Amino acid sequence: MSDKLQNIISKQSEQQNRGVVSQLEDAVQLVGFIIGDEEYSVPILNIQEIIKPISWTRVPQTPAYVLGVFNLRGSVIPLIDLRLKFGLQTKKHTDETRFIVMKDGNEVAGFVIDRLTEALRIRKSDIGPAPDTMQDSETMIDGVGKQSDRIITILKVNKLLERDF
Amino acid sequence: MDEFQEILQDFLIESFELLEQLDQDLVLLETDPEDLELLNRIFRVAHTVKGASSFLNFDVLTHLTHHMEDILNKARHGDLLLTPDVMDVVLESIDLMKELLNTIRDTGADAGVDVSMCVVRLDAKSNGTSVEEIPKEESIEEETEEEELEESLEEEEPDYDNMSDDEVEAEIERLLAQRQVEDQKKRKAKQAAGEAVPQMPQGDEEEPKKEPAPQTNAVVVKPPMPPKRQTEEHSEDAKAAAPVKGNATTVEQTIRVDVKRLDHLMNLIGELVLAKNRLIKINVDVEERYEGEEFLEELNQVVSIVSLVTTDLQIAVMKTRMLPIGKVFNKFPRMIRDLSRELNKKIDLEIFGEETELDKSIVEEIGDPLVHIIRNSCDHGIESITDRIALGKSETGTIILKAYNEGNHIVVQIDDDGKGLDPVMLKNKSLEKGVITEKEADAMTDKEAFALIFRPGFSTAAQVTSVSGRGVGMDVVKTNIEKLNGIIDIDSEVGRGTSIKLKIPLTLAIIQALLVGVQEEYYAIPLASVLETVRISKDEIYTVDNRSVMRLRNDVLSLVHIGDIFEVERIIDAAEHAYVVVLGLAESKLGLIVDSLVGQEEIVIKSLGEYLKGMEGIAGATIRGDGGVTLIVDVAALMQMAKGVKAKPMIESKSAAVSKEKTKASDYNVMIVDDSKTDRTIMRKALEPMGITLTEAVDGQEALNILKQGDTHFDAMLIDIEMPRMDGYTLAGEIKKYNKYKNLPLIAVTSRTSKSDRMRGVESGMVEYITKPYSSDYLASVVQRNIKFKAELA
Repeated sequence: MSDKLQNIISKQSEQQNRGVVSQLEDAVQLVGFIIGDEEYSVPILNIQEIIKPISWTRVPQTPAYVLGVFNLRGSVIPLIDLRLKFGLQTKKHTDETRFIVMKDGNEVAGFVIDRLTEALRIRKSDIGPAPDTMQDSETMIDGVGKQSDRIITILKVNKLLERDF
Repeated sequence: MDEFQEILQDFLIESFELLEQLDQDLVLLETDPEDLELLNRIFRVAHTVKGASSFLNFDVLTHLTHHMEDILNKARHGDLLLTPDVMDVVLESIDLMKELLNTIRDTGADAGVDVSMCVVRLDAKSNGTSVEEIPKEESIEEETEEEELEESLEEEEPDYDNMSDDEVEAEIERLLAQRQVEDQKKRKAKQAAGEAVPQMPQGDEEEPKKEPAPQTNAVVVKPPMPPKRQTEEHSEDAKAAAPVKGNATTVEQTIRVDVKRLDHLMNLIGELVLAKNRLIKINVDVEERYEGEEFLEELNQVVSIVSLVTTDLQIAVMKTRMLPIGKVFNKFPRMIRDLSRELNKKIDLEIFGEETELDKSIVEEIGDPLVHIIRNSCDHGIESITDRIALGKSETGTIILKAYNEGNHIVVQIDDDGKGLDPVMLKNKSLEKGVITEKEADAMTDKEAFALIFRPGFSTAAQVTSVSGRGVGMDVVKTNIEKLNGIIDIDSEVGRGTSIKLKIPLTLAIIQALLVGVQEEYYAIPLASVLETVRISKDEIYTVDNRSVMRLRNDVLSLVHIGDIFEVERIIDAAEHAYVVVLGLAESKLGLIVDSLVGQEEIVIKSLGEYLKGMEGIAGATIRGDGGVTLIVDVAALMQMAKGVKAKPMIESKSAAVSKEKTKASDYNVMIVDDSKTDRTIMRKALEPMGITLTEAVDGQEALNILKQGDTHFDAMLIDIEMPRMDGYTLAGEIKKYNKYKNLPLIAVTSRTSKSDRMRGVESGMVEYITKPYSSDYLASVVQRNIKFKAELA
């Protein structure tokens, strides 16, 4: 009995240690999503919540990609369509459409994305810089994460939340 | 009298507060007699109470506190060690002080408490005499003390009634000087001087010195605020009050609260108001649905109680944030005095209504505009002394500053009897400076010309003085008042004077708003800026200079369509009538054309967040009863934007609204809304032979989304009643909210057959009610009838 217990305890501590190791490896936790044909991601810590589409109110004098504002439990939050922002055609909302509410400091906004993929953990060493051609301060790309079979663009949340009109 | 009471009350509140702190401090001090910080604090308390009580002529209290101050001062300078013995006496004196204050509170005077014993002991301690010696000295000292007391009382009891104002003032100066000198004497400094002053004959010698002062000042400041005058009135009042025994003063119980907490409370109330709005809306919906049911009565009661209490709560919290405007007015007497000296004019300032209360945040904002307006009045309004005499006016100019309530507003009015504004001169100046064009000048009314003084870059002063003339000040006034959603109204008559009225809403966080609709969008306009609403027919709108205008009584009002400002797509504009919301802000007016007036609602202002901050024309957003977001119009910005909007023909071709002519059967679009695939297929089978285009939706929500996208114009909808997410009744209700779908035929297809179901169907806007099962032919014929299907196209 006590042996069993001992086993379990040692196993647990082993698991915990492993967790510590992987954290020590300087991994970044990201949430991936699809816009158009591309997969993008943002750090999970910048995500406040992800909700299903709800109704919003148009705000005049804004660029087309700013859809308006919506009510998130009493807070009024801007809503930005990433398809339009990235120069794609607008698309009807489907069952998979989500609003990702991102925050950076005090700034909060909701972003419309086509579909969520998964939460993933990428080692920092596996993240390359943005392609040379896009390496000016204006780029919204923070870096490119490499995984066995695919590459994922990591977006700069502070840049997304920056007003550029 | 009232004023004296007010001061007395403040004094009592302050004193009791101080004493409470004092008790704690003294106890602490005993454990740590070396703590200088603590000692200083205690000394200050004694000093403050002494100062105030001498002001109010509470001689016994002054006498006591004076000696306390003495002993504490010594301790503070390290001349005396605060042994427990000494402490005992100090504490005793504080108890006496409390007793005195209580007596003052109850009777309005400080008689009836014997402080001499304590004073003797205090003095003994302060002179370092030991405890044992006290009993011996006491009897002697007591007598001398009492004599002293009597003396001082005698001294301070001259015949005030027979004195002129100047004499009284001089007397006060003398007494103050005497007291100061006495203090100095006690502190063993400048003893010679100390003796010289009290011996001065009453008033006589002081008078010549004092009298020139008001003349050089060239101001007689009427309000009770300046310190000199205050002293005088207080002591007069004090004298008047003293004989009235038993004149009990009630101490107001107060608590000091951090403003942040109040702000937080206000935010919470804001949430509550939103919830209340929501509750009211739900109640209305429930009422419609279950008309005549018994529980409605109860629900109604609860809802009305909740909304009543919420309103009361909101008012109560608002009141806690209110400050008297006197806080702002206080600084003006001094300002006028300085200005009049600088400008070499004689100016009288009269203040009324300083007790009028305003929200704290507004009180803070209103100071600057008032400074600028009053400066302006002094500099440009009031003429120089020689000019005034030449004009046959009294050489002293008068500025009247008053505040009063008017409905949900506070009005601050600044009147002067100066030279007034000359519209012609104002126009010429503006032309010179390029602020307006000649054409504009010609079209201007006098009122509009007066408003020119608020234009940036405008100044009538021939030269820039340190007071004004840079053309900035009045612009500041306008900006600040606009920020508060206030209205400025100027009236002036050449040679007679100018009157400027600032109308400011009472509070900022929760406001009354007028909700207006344009197409499918709603906007909230702060009611404070709405002067009136009028319904006009479109023939009444004229176009002048590419601008829409209308005649409103005797004025010409420029008009702008809210849709042009907020880029609302105008799909239907067939109505013959339009509603015009007449907006007034600062000094300008504008008519805003809207499609519909929804009503008045209490709204809580929320910011749009960092990302959308400062959007032109939008002051913020609010959350409505249905959980949706409604934008709040920034009236100031809107007026600015309106200037750039060219008039568009109001009556647009109707063809856009009417759907295109059907040329073939597939031009007809019908939507089928049903959650059951079988049912959808049955309907499709029944309708397909007609050749019309069919769209399917699995529930109300999806159907609504398809409609909203507006890609297709539907000619009819077949709606099942029981569906997940959104049922048929709700869907119908939602659809009918939209103007453009008012005539869209909705056909219920359901197995619910009861009469009440049918009734609800009709209520929610269904035109036909088909019960399952049905024959294909029947369904087809109903649809054909409703979409006015032309059989020859099939």
